[in-house]
Formats: sequence, C-alpha cells, structure tokens
Amino acid sequence: MNKWKKKPPETIRTFRRPSLAGDGFGGRAGFYLTRAITNIRQNVFVNVVTVGTITLALLIVSLFLLVFVNLESATENWSERVQVTVYFDKELTGQEQSAFRQKITELSGVSRVSYVSRDEALKRFRGRLRGQETLLEGVSSEILPTSFEIALKRSYRDTVSVEEFVTKLKRISGITEVQYGEEWVRRFNSFLNFMRLLGALLGGFLVIAVIFIVSNTIKLTIYSRRDELEVMSLVGATRFFISAPFLLEGLIQGLAGSTLSLALLYGLYEGFLQNAGSFITFNPAASGLSFLPVEHLLTLLLAGALLGFIGSLTSLKRFITV
Amino acid sequence: MIQLHNVFLAYQQDASALHNINLKIGKGEFIFLTGPSGAGKTTLLRLLYGALTPNRGQVLVDGQNITRMTRSQLPLLRRSIGVVFQDFKLLHNRTVFENVAITLEVLGWGRVDIGKKTMHILKQMGIESKHNSITQCLSGGEQQRVALARALVNDPKILLADEPTGNLDDANKNQILTIFKEANIRGTTVVVATHDRRLIDQGHKRLVTLSKGEIVEQVEKEAARDDQNI
Repeated sequence: MNKWKKKPPETIRTFRRPSLAGDGFGGRAGFYLTRAITNIRQNVFVNVVTVGTITLALLIVSLFLLVFVNLESATENWSERVQVTVYFDKELTGQEQSAFRQKITELSGVSRVSYVSRDEALKRFRGRLRGQETLLEGVSSEILPTSFEIALKRSYRDTVSVEEFVTKLKRISGITEVQYGEEWVRRFNSFLNFMRLLGALLGGFLVIAVIFIVSNTIKLTIYSRRDELEVMSLVGATRFFISAPFLLEGLIQGLAGSTLSLALLYGLYEGFLQNAGSFITFNPAASGLSFLPVEHLLTLLLAGALLGFIGSLTSLKRFITV
Repeated sequence: MIQLHNVFLAYQQDASALHNINLKIGKGEFIFLTGPSGAGKTTLLRLLYGALTPNRGQVLVDGQNITRMTRSQLPLLRRSIGVVFQDFKLLHNRTVFENVAITLEVLGWGRVDIGKKTMHILKQMGIESKHNSITQCLSGGEQQRVALARALVNDPKILLADEPTGNLDDANKNQILTIFKEANIRGTTVVVATHDRRLIDQGHKRLVTLSKGEIVEQVEKEAARDDQNI
C-alpha cells in the first residue's frame, strides 16, 4: 500500500445511507402521507374523537351560517320595499315621462324607475279596497296623482343614502313632492344593523369557541402520542420530519370533519324542509329557504382543513423538543 | 470520541446533579458508568445525546461541541448515537419491526433496504419471529432486545445504555452483554450506565464510578481484570 497516499478525511456529521428510494419532493410527500394514514389507522379511537369534535363544532358554525344567510336573503327581500315615489298632480305626456325618467335614471343608485298613471293608480286603489268597492262609487281617476316609483340598488337602501338621493331628486325641476316612507326606512335599517351586529357577535363567539375546542382536542391527541414524538427526536429526526405526518393528519382530520359537518347540515336542512310542515305552519316551497351557497361551502371546507392544520402546528410546537 | 470538561449541571439552583465532571472516552472504547441511585449516571448519559445542556463546562461528542449546537444540528448528531433507555421507550401501538425501522426511516433509507436491515438486526437479537408482534405483548427481555435493535440498527458510532439489564434474568443479562461486546468489536464506542455488579464484573471493561454527581473513581480495563482475578 502506498504510504504517501492521502488518507480520506473522516466524515463526522453525515450518515451514509445505502439507497435513495422515495427521494425528491413527490417521494417525500408520499412518505409523509403514507405515514399520516398509517398513524390514523394505528390511532383510530383518538382520530374518531378528533374528527367527531371538529364535525360537531363546525356543524354549529355552519348551522348558524345557514340561518344567518337565510335571514340576510329575507331582509334583502324586505328591503325591496325601500322605494322613493315622486308625485305629480297631472297626467304626464309621453315626452315629459321620458324626460323625467332620463333625469332620474342619471342619478346614482337607481335600479328601476316605473311610471304609475292615474288609471293604474285607481286600479291599485281598487285592489286594496277589495270587498269594499262601494266606497269607490263615483270616484274617477282624475282625483288621484300620477307618480314615478323608484327602486334603489342594494347599497343605496340605508337611511343616509336614501336621504341624499331624495335631496338630489328634489333638485330636478318639476319635482316637488317626494315620499319614501322615512320612518319605515329608518326602523328597517336599525333592525338590519342590529341583526348584523348580533350575527357578528354570536358568530365571533362561536368561531372562538370552536377554535378553542378543536385546538384543545388536537392538543390532547398529540399529548397522548408524546412518546412517539420523543422517540422520533431521540433517534435523530428533524423537527420537520416529526411534524409533517402530524400536520397532514390534522389536515385530513379537519377536512373529514368539515365534510361530515356539511353532509349532516344538508341532511338537517332537507329533513327540515320535508317535515317542518307537520309541526309548524310552513310551506317549504314558498318560504324561499335556500342551502348555503357554493362559496360558503368551500370556505367551510377550507376552514376545517386549516383548523386541523393550525391546531396540530401549535400543539406540536409545545411537544417537540428538537 | 467523548470528552467532558469541567461539566457542572444543576436541575435546581441549590442542588447540583453533576459537579466538575472531567471524562475522556476514546474511540472504540467500552466503559461502565456505575454508582448508587441518584449518583448522576442517567444525567451524564442525557448530556451525551443532547437531552440536557450543562450549566457550565463543555461536552464534545464525535468531535462536536454539544453545548454550542443549534437545535437543527442536534438531530444530525443523534443519528450517530444509539440510545437504550431504562424504560425502553418503545412505541406500544407499533410492531417490533416498525419500532426498529423508525431509526432507518429517519435517515431516509428506502423501504426495501429498511426491510432487509431491520430483519437482519432482529435476527441478530434472536427476535425475528416476533417482528409482527405489538411490543406490549413481549416479555421484558424481548422488549429490551427490541430497544437494543433500534439503537444498533444503523451501526452507530456510539451506543449509550441506561440500566440495560434492570429487570432481566441472568441468561438475558449475558445475551445483552454479548450484544454490547459484539457492537464494540465492530467499532462502536459503548457507554453502559449500570449498578449491576455482576454485569460489570463479567464485562472486564473500564469502570467510572459516580457518587453525588462527582466522579469518585476510575478503574482502567487491565486493573478491572486484575481485580476480577484476585
């Protein structure tokens, strides 16, 4: 042996491994996913408890959201009644009608403008007094005013916007009498604001309670497996190597919980629609009730997954020592 | 391979667990750490695999100063150290195979190689027929061998064992000692903390005695053998 041959430096930190199977991002991700699924299989009870907790917690939130969304759409319908009426004491000619219509439409916030002629006004009046038509005997349409009914866009239906709109409307020459159910608009808007505040408060409390319950459940499940975390760190696993399967597990638990909660919610919703008529005076078809829109469903799914992921992340921080 | 310089460690301010420890363990050496319960044997071992850091002094393992290591460097060092714990620290919801394979998974070995190497070490330990058993169903001696297999499966440079023969009968003790000696012959530095006098006597190895957190006696290999002959 050549004694002058340079001795290779001794490797200190690295540990040679004989094969590189499962390397690369895909390989490692596959490994962590397999590990996560194996962990779920090996800890069935703990996982069932966690998924059950997430399901119930998210069911409460999504039920609240369903009620809130339906109340919002009901108030949306009621707010259609916020409209401004301009009265004229004479019948307008076709030319005058289109001139006024154009000036009104040019104002911001207008969604629909319709002209009510004297005949149309009388017809409506008769309709309201159905059964007491004798009261209208000898009454001609001449005594009734003509009007423009102006519907406003959704964002212009609050008290301040309606008042601003009316001020602008009155600036149009020829318009003198404007009515918009001032008191009703004010009451309706304060009811709407109260409902939103209540919704935000209740929703906020619910979300905080859900985060608290879910994160504590996840913390307990990770606590029950602290030996595993300890052994992994003692045999030289990095923080990421230990965490990754647990984080994926949390993500899967969250997704499973949110999917189950939405399935349960849909079951409850359908059950209510089918059976509500038998115990309350309720016509499902006419009620206008609707299930959560797709974007809300996706948000809830994502929220479940995030809840599981972040719950695991914060709990792991406490239990991994490396 | 292992050096401790003026190491001082206290769990609480007024009571020191280790006091002024100076110790050198050469590459390929086999030593026994002994002393009464509470002498600091386990604490000293925990220092060596980085589970504790000293309040004062330096701990060098495999050429690296543990006291100056970052958290991300520690796992890399631990991959070259096999540890056998007093309470085994086995995962009871996993099989024998999975418990041993975990060491190789951490190193990123491929599945086929993990299978071969794990079965090989289980065969060496005489528990290959139990590879599919849950560790909870094993006897104390078998669990001990699983813990040993997990520590030795990646041929570590250093093997640390804390009371490895705690509750074992004589036959099992002999087997464990043989496994330690074989690992030592293959080049692994072995440090065994024990107060089992019989194991120490049979081992004929360097002996370091601790008492109240201090090294009170060091007997070299030859002297230990002479004592045995007397």
